[in-house]
This record gives sequence, structure tokens and C-alpha cells, in this order.
Amino acid sequence: MGEENITEAEAALYDRQIRLWGLDAQKRLRAAKVLLIGIKGLGAEVAKNIVLSGIKSLTILDHTQVDEEDKLSQFLIPREEIGKNRAVSSLERTQLLNPMVNVTADTDDVADKNDDFFKQYDVICATCCPSSILCKINNICSENNIKYFAGDVFGYYGYMFADLGKHEFAEEVPKMNQKQESSQQGEECGDGEPAPKKIKKDEKETVVVKKEEIFSRLQSALDVDWSTTEIKTKIKRTPTAHFITLAIFDFMEKNKRRPQLSTSEEDSKQLLECRKMIIEKNQLDDKYLPENFIEHCFAELSPICAIVGGVLGQEIIKAVSQKDAPHNNFFFYNGVEGTGMVDKIGN
Amino acid sequence: MSAAMKSSLSNKLQQNVSSCKILVVGAGGIGCELLKNLALTGFSDIEVIDLDTIDVSNLNRQFLFRKEHVGKSKSQVAKESTLKFNPDVNIVAYHDSVMNPDYGVNFFKKFKLVMNALDNRAARNHVNRMCLAADVPLVESGTAGYLGQVTVIKKGLTECYECRPKATQKTFPGCTIRNTPSEPIHCVVWAKHLFNQLFGEDDPDQDVSPDTEDPELTAEAGEKALEKETEGNGKDLERKSTRVWAVENGYNPEKIFSKLFRDDIKYLLSMEALWKTRRPPEPLDWSNLSDATPSSATQMRDQRIWSMKECGEVFGNCLGKLKVDLAAQGEDGMLVWDKDDETALDFVVSAANIRANIFGISQKSRFDIKSMAGNIIPAIATTNAIIAALIVMEALKILNDQFDKCTTVYLNRKPNFRKKLLDAGRLDKPNPKCYVCSAKPEVTVVLNTQKITIKFLEEKILKGDLGMVAPDVEIDNGMGTIIISSEEGETEENNEKLLSSFGIINGSRLKCDDFLQNYNLNITIAHVEKLEDEKDFMVVGDMAELQAKLEENSKKKEEGTGAALEKSKEEEEDDLEIIDDTEAMETAPTDTSPKKRKADELDCTPTAKKQKKSIGGDGDADVVEIL
Ligand SMILES: [Zn+2]
Repeated sequence: MGEENITEAEAALYDRQIRLWGLDAQKRLRAAKVLLIGIKGLGAEVAKNIVLSGIKSLTILDHTQVDEEDKLSQFLIPREEIGKNRAVSSLERTQLLNPMVNVTADTDDVADKNDDFFKQYDVICATCCPSSILCKINNICSENNIKYFAGDVFGYYGYMFADLGKHEFAEEVPKMNQKQESSQQGEECGDGEPAPKKIKKDEKETVVVKKEEIFSRLQSALDVDWSTTEIKTKIKRTPTAHFITLAIFDFMEKNKRRPQLSTSEEDSKQLLECRKMIIEKNQLDDKYLPENFIEHCFAELSPICAIVGGVLGQEIIKAVSQKDAPHNNFFFYNGVEGTGMVDKIGN
Repeated sequence: MSAAMKSSLSNKLQQNVSSCKILVVGAGGIGCELLKNLALTGFSDIEVIDLDTIDVSNLNRQFLFRKEHVGKSKSQVAKESTLKFNPDVNIVAYHDSVMNPDYGVNFFKKFKLVMNALDNRAARNHVNRMCLAADVPLVESGTAGYLGQVTVIKKGLTECYECRPKATQKTFPGCTIRNTPSEPIHCVVWAKHLFNQLFGEDDPDQDVSPDTEDPELTAEAGEKALEKETEGNGKDLERKSTRVWAVENGYNPEKIFSKLFRDDIKYLLSMEALWKTRRPPEPLDWSNLSDATPSSATQMRDQRIWSMKECGEVFGNCLGKLKVDLAAQGEDGMLVWDKDDETALDFVVSAANIRANIFGISQKSRFDIKSMAGNIIPAIATTNAIIAALIVMEALKILNDQFDKCTTVYLNRKPNFRKKLLDAGRLDKPNPKCYVCSAKPEVTVVLNTQKITIKFLEEKILKGDLGMVAPDVEIDNGMGTIIISSEEGETEENNEKLLSSFGIINGSRLKCDDFLQNYNLNITIAHVEKLEDEKDFMVVGDMAELQAKLEENSKKKEEGTGAALEKSKEEEEDDLEIIDDTEAMETAPTDTSPKKRKADELDCTPTAKKQKKSIGGDGDADVVEIL
């Protein structure tokens, strides 16, 4: 945690957020080194949100090339950059968002990075990765006390996952109302002269309490067998976007890429296969993974990126500042239904 | 958007999106995010209006702006930055107030959809009426800290923005401010009033001297105090405005300090009835101020609590500087209090803390007092991003002919018991008694016809509370007597006349017409001698509602004055602290002079109680009205 005081320039720039989360949270933010893996539409939203908040540094890691789809959601890449590296193309605009943050680009493939690479960060957020990579990085983070996030957006659907390990945080709760000195006391003072009533009381006092939240790894969420009876009762209240995500994870594992608009016809057929597999494996009722999701799961829809990226960005800020209760452990947005839910999946 | 480019939208929707003309009102926190989303989603015909200019405190979230843009027009810079995301979008930017008469019903009729990204109620009221008049669907939005809300308004199908009465701006009774402050906010309000008394616009409602008409005083006690005043030390000050007195004394710090913080306090002490159940105030002596400081973790001037000695020095220095500033304004010049003016803020911080000390109220840091006095609503990028995105999601439903699927959505701080972080609910039907969107808008205004002037009726009631912009008013007396005309100069001679002088009595009806808003309202006047809590007037839906309110009041009285006072204090505590000027937060401010914008317009005035709770962080805030 940066002990030196916030400068005047920082105080002026961050004024409106310091008034929300306080000076200590801001100091923690400016000490945080963050790695963002994958910078398509969702990554751009996350990068914007956390760079604006005033973290210490952001490394953008992406080995892929800019394509037509980026025009639909990736506002950090100038339009004429098609074919160039995504991380490099995003660098200039990301830096312009906040000159006080040190922003760098890395064009390596995340799959080629050794374990030590990840250890230099306080927070790692992975997007656009197949689930095997997500789980691998999750494990490295767990073993090194790095706050870990994952997320993705598929058309109208999006998810965020967090594993903060054993996470301690401060939360402001309303102070229990101390019973005011009763008037009785005054009367007993005798002398016919009632004692002045205590009037020194602050408006709505709150106290800060320390709390703790335990997270689990992504693998345990993927391993849940939804066919077992004790889990089955939970299905009804589990967001459908979770099962849609599982189907797309399966697609990405098989194809080593996301479903693409340019190949949407073939990809749709494959996605239906993936859906079938997930349904059979978990003995799901059809309605929990509706067939029509393939009509809505291509490319990234800008507002969906903004919603998931907004929640994800705020969760990173919470994790770093150790202020406020984090969402444990998934957030799902389903733009077809218009639902945004937090759920705990896995153990 | 090039026709060849596919997206995740269906072809039909994509076509509707790219061909429709939309209006974005406000290019602040929500507006910046919204413009980005719109450009990327394929909207290609956008007009945006905002009268504000860019401030450094915007840059932590209004990401279309950078340091070098500070001072420039928000709408213009937002347009240029948005074009970089998608140069094919056609954007028209207006650096103007949406309440300007140039933007009439025909202007609004051009649009398939209007999206509000505003921060104040006056503008929201106005755009609501314009959209009703033009019959254009409106997507409305608001944020406050971690919380946000989006809703959809469509004439005849849904509630309009004004269908339900909103929590009104919190004001404190004059006697609490002048005689018996008990909370830091009372001292801050007093200090701002003092600033205006000494340097700003003269407003008799902002008197800072002891109030001899305090209802807690018996008539006798008040008179006694008055007598003392005329014979005793107060004789020079008596009945002379604070301003005149200060000028005559050359704004001498010692004299002003001694009057405000010693003599006036001694005078208050002489009103003994006030201190029977309260801790009496303790006058301070200019030449003997304590330099004791409460222990504090930080040395930052903004964050620590100042000693009385430091407060006194700052107070004196500020008087000197503000005197010079005032002189620079010329003969009839005056200063307007601005939270971003260092000296003006320091003045309020020092004066409020000195007064707090006198009354045994806890002191506050400069940082905290800036929030309280400037009515700053904290704002962050993530909340704005989410809310702006939800606006687009509702807009897509409208453009996809799925109006029945539109919802009102709340962003909660924590998921509710149904796991919902985003909580969507059905849109309500219009309120048949709404004084804005019903077929025959009617409202009852309770006031004293022998005290209220035509000018007050126009400025505070019609333009203030009832949200009109340029009303014409005639008495519905069969003769069509016109008392207010929107044509300049036509009825100015009426300004200072009382309502009663036009024969307006209990039960009189006024026909009001706002041509710009295409809005007609019939007002029934209910005459009363006096209203509760020193209010000048009250707007109620109809006579039945009025009856209910009056009964409630008389019940309060039966409980005894003491109990009633106690009650109103508790209510105060539950409310958000809303003082005078609203900060232009996620905004398109709407008045012509941003600095003088008054704020009945707490950003997103929530039902204050609920809001306060959830900001306090107790979690399960299920539904919080932000709009
Ligand atoms: Zn209405």
C-alpha cells in the first residue's frame, strides 16, 4: 500500500470517487499492478474502467490481430488498424485515458508465458481465453495470492468470474443506534433544572467492520455435476447464461477460438452439438439451455461489454482497495432476458 | 455503419438502429458512455445537447474528455471523440440548454427516441413534457455512487417522469439555522447564508442573525429579548442589514467575528427558553482562540480538523480576499458562492466550524464540508458505464417493436435475495391524476393569497415547483384576466402585486399555459393563513389529498409542540443533506448561468430514506429510486 500521501493533482482528478470509496482505497488502487489478458470489447471496457480509477500499472497481453468484429465493441483500437496486434493497437488510447497510469502492451501468447511472468502482478484478469487456460492461470494465481478474474462476452451474453482466495475487506455498516440519554435522567438531576440533553450526534454514523470471504477455483465450478439430486434443486435459480457459457467453453476448447461472425453458419452447427453434450452430461431440461442462444451469441454487443466490463471493473477496484463485499463468484448478464445475476457456483 | 458489416443484432433491428434519428440529452458521465455505446452499436444519426463545459473533476469518468479539453464544450468534444470510434456516425452537437425555447415540440418530433443522461430534476421535468407533447418515447436514467436506474416513458402507456411526487429538497427551518443548530449541516447552511449576506445576493430567507420569532419562544420572551437588544449592546446592529454593517466596518475581521461569534451568541443565550433542554452555546473571543487540534491521522489540510485559532485566521484572511473580489465586481456587484472557489470554500469551512464549536457540534474537514455545501454526489465510471449500456438495451427493445418488453431497471449495490444485481421491473401505467400527463391536468396550490405576489407565483411555484418554462396565466373568472404573460414586458407591472389584489381567493381557479412545453394546467387555489414549517406554499394533487395532509398536521399538533419538534428533527436526519447548489454531476445543466444554478434538483433525488440506507451499505437495498 502506497504510504505517501495523495498529491493535489490526484486529489483533484479522483475527487468524485474518493468521496465514494475514501482515501485509503485510492491509495491502494495507485499501488496495484494489473495484467489484462485479451483486449476485445470486454477487455477494452475493463481497461477503461480500471485505468480511469487510477491503478499503478496495466499490462495488456494479447497476441491476436484486429479484425472486423472489433468495430462493434473495441473503442480503444483505431478503425484503420485491422490486421495489427490488438494489444499494441489499444495502447495509445488506453494511455490517454489517464496519464498517471503506466500502460504497456505485450504481444506474446498467454499460453507461452511461464509461471514467473504472472507473479509480478497483484491482479490478473483473463478474457477471450479457453477454459483450460483460464483454469491454469487461476491455479497460478491461487498459489501466489494474486487476485484472479475471468470474463467474456458472447453476443447478448456475458459472464464474470472471480477467485480472490481468502479475501479480507472492510465494509461500512450503520452503527447500532445508541439509545439516547433519556429525558428521565434529566429530571432526576433535581434542582428543577433539567440537565442539558446530549445533542452531539453525527448524521447517520457508520462503523467500519472487517469481513472475510472465501472463494473457490474456476475448475470447481466447471466440475459441478448438475445431474446429482442435491444440485438439481439449485438449477431453477441458476442463470441460463451459465449453461450457455459452458456450451461456448466447450466450443472454444475444441476449436481453440471463439465463435466468429465470419464463420457463423458452421459455428452455429457446432455450438448446437456442444449444447447437446452439456445437456446430456448434466441431464438438463432443455429450457435451461435454450436452442435459440445461437442466434444471439456472436461477436460482442457493445452494451453487453459495458455492463459486464462495468461489473468486472468495479470488482477489480473492490478487490484491490479491500473495500466492500465482493461478488462471490460469478456475475452473468443475459441481454435476451435482461437479467443480471450474481451466483455462487462450485465449492 | 457499412451495410455489409454484420453484428449480433438481427438484420431488421440493425436496419432500424442505423436509420433512426435519436437525441441524447447530456454529455456528462452517463452521456459519454452512452455516445460510445451508440456509435459502436450502429446508431448513425445522433444529436447531443449539453450546456456544460469540461471540469478537471469530470476526467475520472467522463472518458471522452482529457486534460487539454478542460473548459471546452462537453457536447462538442464528446462529438469529436465519439467520431473516432466510428467516423460513419452523423453527430450534431449543441452547446446549449435543452430548456432553451429554440428546442420546441417540433424539434423533439424529429426523433424516433430521446435518451436522457441528465443530473437535475428541472431538465428532466422539461424533457419529460417535451417528449409527451411530441409523443416520442423517452429513456430516462440516473446514477448516484454505486447505484443507478434506467426507465422508459411513453405517452399513454407508462408513467411519466412526474406521475409520482418526488421527495422535495430538504430545507431546514430558519430558527434551527439561526438559533439552535444541532448538526454540522446546520452550521454549513448558516455559513453559506453568511457568505451571501456579506458578499452575495440579498435574500431575506437567509438571515444569519438570531431569530426572535422562534416558535419555541413565547411571545413574551421574544419581546424581552428585543427590548434588551434595543437598550443593550445590540443597538448599532439592530435592523441594519449584515451587509451594510460589514461594509461600514470595512469587513474588519475582528469586528465581524465579535459580532457573529460573541455578541450574537450572547444575545441567543438571553433567549433562555431555548436552552432549557439544550446545551447552551459558548461565545468565542477573537483574541483568545484555542489552538488545540483534535488528534488526526493525516496532516492534509483538506482532511484534518482545524483548530479554532486556525479557523479564526482563515476566516479573517478570507474576509480580506473576498472584500477585494467583491470590490472588483464594481458598484452593485456581488459574489456567487462556488464550491470550486478556494476562498469561498475556506470561508464556509472556517465559519461553519467556528459555529459548530460554539454549539458543541462535531467539526468537519474541508473535504467533508465541500461535499455538504456543494451537494456533491459521488460518481464513478463503472456505474455510469452500466447504466448507459442499460439505456441502449431498452432503446433496442423499442426499435425492435418490443415495447411490451421494456422495463425499469435498478443497479443494486449487492445482489438481492433473488440473486439480482440488476433488478428489472415492469413499467407502471400512467397515473390518471398526474398533473402533467393526464388528459386534464389539475393541481391544488395551498398558499396565503394575501402574502404571495404574482412574481413569487411565477418564479417559485410555476417555474420552480411545477417545472414550467414560460407560463401564461389567466384567472378563470369568466373575464379571462391575464396576470402573467410569457411575452416580455406585458405583465411586469403585476410582479409585486399580491394574488388577493386580483380577487384571487380560496377556491379561485387559474388557467396556466406553457406554450413551449405544449402544457396546460388548471390550478385551484386553497387559501390558508399559515403553513407548517415556515413553508410559503404547498402543491397537492387535489382537495382530497389536501384534506388528508391537513388532518395529518393537526394530529401532529395534538401530540404537543415538543413532540412535533422532536419528530421533525428525526425526519431531518433521515434525509439526504441537500443544500443549495446542486453539483452538475452526470449532466446537462439547464439554466443559462451554470454558476447560479439553484438546486431543487438533487441529482437523482431518491426517496431519501431508502437511498441513505443503501449508501450506508447495508446491502439488500432492493429498490432505490434514483430518478
Ligand atoms: Zn404523468
